[in-house]
Amino acid sequence: MSTLRGATAIVGIGQTPYYKRATSPDPELKLCLRAIVAACEDAGLDPRDLDGFVSYASERSDAQKLMPALNTREVRFAALAWIHGGGIPGALSLAASAIMAGQAEFVVVYRSMAEAQGQRLRVAVAQNDTAAQYLVNGLESPAQILGLRAQRLFEGAGVPRSTMQAMAQAAYYHARNNPRAYGRNTVLDDETYASARRIAEPYNLFDCSRENDGACAVVVASAARAGRLAKTPAYILAAPMGVAEGGGALEENIRPYASAGQAAVARRLWTESGYGPEDVDVLQVYQNMTGMAVASLIDHGFCTIENAGAVLTFENLIAPHGRLPVNTSGGDLAEGFIHGMGLVAEAVRQLRGESCNQVPGARLSLMTGGPGDTMSSTALLGTAATL
Amino acid sequence: MSYEFETHRIVGGIGADDPYWRALEEGRFELPRCAGCAAWMWPAHWRCGRCGSWELHWVAVEPVGSVYSWTRSSYAFDRVRERAPDVPYVTLLTEVANTDGARVMGMLVGSEVGLRIGAAVRGEIQRPSPKSKGYPSICWRLQA
Repeated sequence: MSTLRGATAIVGIGQTPYYKRATSPDPELKLCLRAIVAACEDAGLDPRDLDGFVSYASERSDAQKLMPALNTREVRFAALAWIHGGGIPGALSLAASAIMAGQAEFVVVYRSMAEAQGQRLRVAVAQNDTAAQYLVNGLESPAQILGLRAQRLFEGAGVPRSTMQAMAQAAYYHARNNPRAYGRNTVLDDETYASARRIAEPYNLFDCSRENDGACAVVVASAARAGRLAKTPAYILAAPMGVAEGGGALEENIRPYASAGQAAVARRLWTESGYGPEDVDVLQVYQNMTGMAVASLIDHGFCTIENAGAVLTFENLIAPHGRLPVNTSGGDLAEGFIHGMGLVAEAVRQLRGESCNQVPGARLSLMTGGPGDTMSSTALLGTAATL
Repeated sequence: MSYEFETHRIVGGIGADDPYWRALEEGRFELPRCAGCAAWMWPAHWRCGRCGSWELHWVAVEPVGSVYSWTRSSYAFDRVRERAPDVPYVTLLTEVANTDGARVMGMLVGSEVGLRIGAAVRGEIQRPSPKSKGYPSICWRLQA
């Protein structure tokens, strides 16, 4: 087991409303400040006491820009986890590592996004790192590239497409109880799903995440400090990041292909935390596209390619009584999409008993990073009873 | 010789595949093998991770293989808007025969009849065009 197991906890969460892309009343940096200040208020901390700043991907609101407005005493640690949504739990791991190494006491992990005039968020997020092989051949969006991946899972390996529909319907079902959810007024019945416009096969509109303006932040502190703060701590049991041989930037030549690329980090997650998939109470699964979230669940061992159709049904995926309640805020599809960061806040809410779709007595709460990314990460959070 | 793709350079990949595009622009389909251990290496890289060689040999490959995966794009995505008039279009990921499983992307041309994973395809080289962002390209046609 890792020395990071249970050594730190998420002690505060904060977020702005989800705005339709390019409609935020505030620019990115101000959204970021609002989320960070809200997370500090939630924790009962003075924002001035934050001394660590961690984000991932193409985050532009860096510590240097934030510190004057937070009246920061001293920035002692600042870092960016590589890659895109795959890096969220990895960002938690960076924060935990910095705290355990004595480099910082209160580390805020955050993501802020507001679409600049004329530039789609996903273009900014791609950071100009799409190889010519894709762009020459009409491929640029994750929907298309992960469409190739998913096609291999569904047509190739025979996983039923009903799993994608169940993931989408569970997300929209949960969103209906969530006043923050951007998709709360959408009733995703079978007819609506079946008749939705195609985006990139095998995905239709409802299989794809949104693009929203907004910001979300969580504060990480040592377990010792966490116990003295305002809210029930969500202990970080494990948050491994990485990719195994056969993966990486290989332009669709990764092996194995019909996967989310998370099998290796999932194995580390279970080893480092001492728990297994059967122990988890509630899951926030990064769902850029439904098909990749299905692959993520398979990589984590919640089901197999063979039984995915039987396990990933709507009834099993919904709170409060499904076997595998997934994306209880509505998640990336139906709550809103700040590059997946909202999933961390929901994973914490479940352990506090504060979710709009609470799983009764949830003790172990999983949050996965972006599936199908060239590198990824995954996190298991737990209550004090799980330490 | 100067190459058209070099004036439209796309950054973001590993960047060791210039010989691939040069050959394609000259009408040849070539893939790299390690000069040290002869392993196929796609995408091309700067160093062979298996034997440590820094050299590649680019060899002519018959452009035949099978559909490894495919997607049909039904939306004019932002960074490939040149393809908007062709929506919906199909892009293939083709496993090229006799290359130890190298997978090469390309547009599907011709009929979609019989489109499925495993279907046999043959490649056709196209000159640089705005749709392929000034790069040459290999397209795949399903074989009856």
